[in-house]
Amino acid sequence: MSTVPIESLLHHSYLRHNSKVNRGNRSFIPISLNLRSHFTSNKLLHSIGKSVGVSSKNKSPVAIRATSSDTAVVETAQSDDVIFKEIFPVQRIEKAEGKIYVRLKEVKEKNWELSVGCSIPGKWILHWGVSYVGDTGSEWDQPPEDMRPPGSIAIKDYAIETPLKKLSEGDSFFEVAINLNLESSVAALNFVLKDEETGAWYQHKGRDFKVPLVDDVPDNGNLIGAKKGFGALGQLSNIPLKQDKSSAETDSIEERKGLQEFYEEMPISKRVADDNSVSVTARKCPETSKNIVSIETDLPGDVTVHWGVCKNGTKKWEIPSEPYPEETSLFKNKALRTRLQRKDDGNGSFGLFSLDGKLEGLCFVLKLNENTWLNYRGEDFYVPFLTSSSSPVETEAAQVSKPKRKTDKEVSASGFTKEIITEIRNLAIDISSHKNQKTNVKEVQENILQEIEKLAAEAYSIFRSTTPAFSEEGVLEAEADKPDIKISSGTGSGFEILCQGFNWESNKSGRWYLELQEKADELASLGFTVLWLPPPTESVSPEGYMPKDLYNLNSRYGTIDELKDTVKKFHKVGIKVLGDAVLNHRCAHFKNQNGVWNLFGGRLNWDDRAVVADDPHFQGRGNKSSGDNFHAAPNIDHSQDFVRKDIKEWLCWMMEEVGYDGWRLDFVRGFWGGYVKDYMDASKPYFAVGEYWDSLSYTYGEMDYNQDAHRQRIVDWINATSGAAGAFDVTTKGILHTALQKCEYWRLSDPKGKPPGVVGWWPSRAVTFIENHDTGSTQGHWRFPEGKEMQGYAYILTHPGTPAVFFDHIFSDYHSEIAALLSLRNRQKLHCRSEVNIDKSERDVYAAIIDEKVAMKIGPGHYEPPNGSQNWSVAVEGRDYKVWETS
Amino acid sequence: MEVSVIGNPQARICRAELAYRELGFRFGSEVISGESRNRVSFCNQSSKWKEIAIRCSHRSVKCEAIVSDDAPPFLNSTPKSKSLESVKLFVGLPLDTVSDCNNVNHLKAITAGLKALKLLGVQGIELPIFWGVVEKEAAGRYEWSGYLAVAEIVKKVGLKLHVSLSFHGSKHPEIGLPDWVAKIGEAEPGIYFTDRYGQQYKDCLSFAVDDVPVLHGKTPMEVYRGFCDSFKSAFSDYMGNTITGITLGLGPDGELKYPSHQHNVKRSGAGEFQCYDKHMLTALKAYAESTGNPLWGLGGPHDAPAYDHQPNSSTFFSDGGSWESQYGNFFLSWYSSLLTSHADRVLSVASSAFSGIGVPLCGKLPLLHQWHKLRSQPSELTAGFYSSNGQDRYEAITEIFAKNSCRMIIPGMDLSDEHQSPESLSSPESLLAHIKTSCKKQGVVVSGQNSSTPVPGGFERIVENLKDENVGIDLFTYQRMGALFFSPEHFHAFTVFVRNLSRFELSSDDKAADVEDETVSIGSGTGAPSLQTA
Repeated sequence: MSTVPIESLLHHSYLRHNSKVNRGNRSFIPISLNLRSHFTSNKLLHSIGKSVGVSSKNKSPVAIRATSSDTAVVETAQSDDVIFKEIFPVQRIEKAEGKIYVRLKEVKEKNWELSVGCSIPGKWILHWGVSYVGDTGSEWDQPPEDMRPPGSIAIKDYAIETPLKKLSEGDSFFEVAINLNLESSVAALNFVLKDEETGAWYQHKGRDFKVPLVDDVPDNGNLIGAKKGFGALGQLSNIPLKQDKSSAETDSIEERKGLQEFYEEMPISKRVADDNSVSVTARKCPETSKNIVSIETDLPGDVTVHWGVCKNGTKKWEIPSEPYPEETSLFKNKALRTRLQRKDDGNGSFGLFSLDGKLEGLCFVLKLNENTWLNYRGEDFYVPFLTSSSSPVETEAAQVSKPKRKTDKEVSASGFTKEIITEIRNLAIDISSHKNQKTNVKEVQENILQEIEKLAAEAYSIFRSTTPAFSEEGVLEAEADKPDIKISSGTGSGFEILCQGFNWESNKSGRWYLELQEKADELASLGFTVLWLPPPTESVSPEGYMPKDLYNLNSRYGTIDELKDTVKKFHKVGIKVLGDAVLNHRCAHFKNQNGVWNLFGGRLNWDDRAVVADDPHFQGRGNKSSGDNFHAAPNIDHSQDFVRKDIKEWLCWMMEEVGYDGWRLDFVRGFWGGYVKDYMDASKPYFAVGEYWDSLSYTYGEMDYNQDAHRQRIVDWINATSGAAGAFDVTTKGILHTALQKCEYWRLSDPKGKPPGVVGWWPSRAVTFIENHDTGSTQGHWRFPEGKEMQGYAYILTHPGTPAVFFDHIFSDYHSEIAALLSLRNRQKLHCRSEVNIDKSERDVYAAIIDEKVAMKIGPGHYEPPNGSQNWSVAVEGRDYKVWETS
Repeated sequence: MEVSVIGNPQARICRAELAYRELGFRFGSEVISGESRNRVSFCNQSSKWKEIAIRCSHRSVKCEAIVSDDAPPFLNSTPKSKSLESVKLFVGLPLDTVSDCNNVNHLKAITAGLKALKLLGVQGIELPIFWGVVEKEAAGRYEWSGYLAVAEIVKKVGLKLHVSLSFHGSKHPEIGLPDWVAKIGEAEPGIYFTDRYGQQYKDCLSFAVDDVPVLHGKTPMEVYRGFCDSFKSAFSDYMGNTITGITLGLGPDGELKYPSHQHNVKRSGAGEFQCYDKHMLTALKAYAESTGNPLWGLGGPHDAPAYDHQPNSSTFFSDGGSWESQYGNFFLSWYSSLLTSHADRVLSVASSAFSGIGVPLCGKLPLLHQWHKLRSQPSELTAGFYSSNGQDRYEAITEIFAKNSCRMIIPGMDLSDEHQSPESLSSPESLLAHIKTSCKKQGVVVSGQNSSTPVPGGFERIVENLKDENVGIDLFTYQRMGALFFSPEHFHAFTVFVRNLSRFELSSDDKAADVEDETVSIGSGTGAPSLQTA
């Protein structure tokens, strides 16, 4: 029985939380107040009670307690000077203990159910996937559809997230049950638990939980329920008990006979951070010249103040002279302990300390119980007093240490307005001080103008990125008579037509580069101007998307020399070449001390600092990912300077060494677009396009008409790159799917009468496509409606945006039809900013006129271009589509 | 003092915020950095909320004393300032400044933008306040927190504020009427303007229901009154000091007009009459009967062109067409009288609600310059501007404005005839001159605005309009802040415009400083060099 305690693996979420609090503190300056307050101490107390009351939901005033005569008497002077007031935020970590259980049960005959439960309240999510028979390594796969409990969400193609639900009202257990499909070849179930509230992941002995369903699942010490089913050695051994490994694939049912019910429990502890505050007010009583310190807190339970006083300019704790407040005891002659009085309503406690006026300050820490001490960000709480000898100015100077912290602050929300006010003030002061010096007038004006420009630029950048529609761009582009022929980095000339030069099987022959070279002349004559080559680096997977040594360009597609030759060959026929750069993740060369693969080799021998910290599988020590995680390999932390420097160098090297003209960027959802801008600025590609692929919006299984949110996410990404790269127009592909499949062609016009995809908003950055190696080919993750591909091409090859044609389609029966469309696009000089006027978007037909020289319709419905001044002649025609051009 | 709000909806934060302000005063503190005592801490809040509330919590009395000075000296120093003040320049905030869940959108951008404008010497900011945002949930339940937060920022940056109370909705961005009103509208579509095809215009209530208790037993006027009263008390601290003007929404897009172009974005046609909702038709019928022509009260003109048709494609607007007939006079008089009386109702409600606060009230007219050169001026007719016997069509309206001591905002001051397409027979310049004259006659003070999209030569045209000695325009509001406004090209042109504005009013003894001004180059020189005055 495994009894290893499970602890929250990633404390970074908690730490981050902490830092948030700290950030608040930075702008939290103790200021001495030298106002004569007209409150009596009674009133003052009352108002303090209120101030804390706001935070602790307690609005009732605190009653003043009578103090007994043998303890320090709190002078109720008629007037006080508040010399110090501050609220210290404190964080108390509570540890909740409970258990996780995993149960495998045969509900009915041959009907097995795996349930995972947890006894601690929280928003628990089971993050899980399966391994299939024959899988090697620790990669996850998606479980078969029928195993997914309702409410499950697919995380790309490797995992499922299913929330745990309360078993019943009043029950403290949260559980999820998965019906196992034993017909499938699932070999094991892998999972980790995620607490949505804290963002913490819970693993099993530093790994995924793994529940084996067949007996030859490799045991890395993280198997659960294994030993009972498969013999006494179980976890202790890696040796499969049954030696019929060869029969695993052929006869998995046979093996499942070994499946046995089990129930395992594991202790779990969850840390919950509670935010409380300690409010300290110090007042000077002029009559008695004593310092009266009031400490209040909303911490629950008994709170003891462990304190001393400071003299002679040091922060050393010293014992003051008596009398002491009530409930005070001496602790080892070094400090005093005073238990705070509970407030009447039970929400916290408070205490009053009357101290000699000559003291310089009060130090204290708080003790909640034997093991819990609270201090203020690693230091003692310190309350400075205004001594009679020191002037207020000096006191402020003495406290400079705290305001100083402000200087290293990040741009925080709270600092922002203040900054603005100060800046304006400074400028105003600047101006007035310069006012009389005529010579400086110009300089001052320049300062102001620069400042104005800076602010306007800031406002522009934010407005631009938050303005949902790209109406300005749309208008500008529509009005431009001719496309901008000037080549701006990353976006080409506007006339590009892309060819995806490979499919999922291209690696099989081992000589793809050579095969492609033979097609160079043909592709050029078809009218393609850009070719997208497969990822060139050494890769763990043969297709190249699991790169390992980035500088090793010998892959399953061919050698580096063959690659260079290919690029040269295509350049000769006038086709530019894009390299497929996989920057989101990289496979490691070595394991760390925990046996996790996260150390890299080769020329870029990064360590685990180059791996993002928020994927529990790879134990990275970098920062949190700036995007989504791809869970099959360590995700690279692009926020690290050394990583970015290396990647920029690598991209430039590829440009120079191989001769690439631009990039196709894989899985750019995984990291911030701003980094892409950095990379594009460094490598200056002729053309670049990113793969930002996420799901469109559906309601009850029906695709929503309005996909603005989806294209907004893509546009946001392009924006983050500052337009340095375009993006595949996944929105258009998705809408075409539904429009064509369900005969709902009305979907192809958005409410503003524009194309509904990215191409309707930002045509010059949209790369339209209908299929690629993932969606189609032999993977078929999201295949274009079969038989309707030509309608798709009739759309993208006549519309604005930069169209990309998939290799498989070119060399298929569609060859001649695609060729005709390509030739039309080139002949009529349609480009990425061409103007499209949607003429018809009805149930069964969509029709548009592009740049007033090409008309097209798709769908079975009838359409003829309007008979006006133009003379339309049919250019290309096929099943359910027709394209005309003006002669 | 600390306010911690954990996991609350934003609205509550803002309330806590207000409460907390009072506490702050109770302490009687004077010079305290806003931060030191007034700290708001949040847990699990989205950063946006955080920003708002924290921002409001800073009030540094010291800073304000300095920033509340008028514009930086370089733009209005010494003798210049006086003349510059004669035209106050305001800039409008985005329509969606406050979202319908009372969250301040693009807060950071707005704050930076306000600061830039302040430094540039702009006097104030126009803030559109939508009925559909504030009284969204239920009748009489007002939620001002988002707008209050904006007012506070504006105040802190040291700018003035002109609010526009908008009783209409907007298409871009999409802001509707209050949810509860929309719900009533579903059951009772007659509360909306309706065209002859039966299509409703759901962004504004029909003028015919002004005094009909259609909103849970209250008339729209009573509801508007409640809105004004609530606004007045919520913003009482700002009234007269930060808030220096209030515009009342008079109809679709806030302008006094019928939504005659509701289904035609391009405005190529003359627009259509909007008199087909239940209440309008009843009123028309009654009016027809009272004038002894019951048959005229059965519907609107049958020979008016459709939205996107040329005005002369049918007989109504052509020379000698129906509009000049006895029937035309009957119908158009009635149609325009409803517009006039609507203006009177709203402005009377407002002037009684805001009497004694010393803040001037304004109302906005449209500038319907399309087809202005046609004798019938069909765009104006469909929008409700008509006067029988060829008299001044704006006279009745300006009288209403004068009666309620209300200022008139006229948009389109950036439009010039030469940039209009000749086919549209448009003349913004002459129409503007016409309305201005009409205002002058009645002593109505005119404020200017530009049209919402930038037009070529717009800034020069605005300066010309403001120079016009004939009608002293004392306030110009430039519309509107947003991405386009701050784009390098546009903002540069705007900067030059602001400087020109101050230049034309310079007294001659200031030439020396003037020369120095010119040596300063503004901007990176990327945009609109033609606008730069050498």
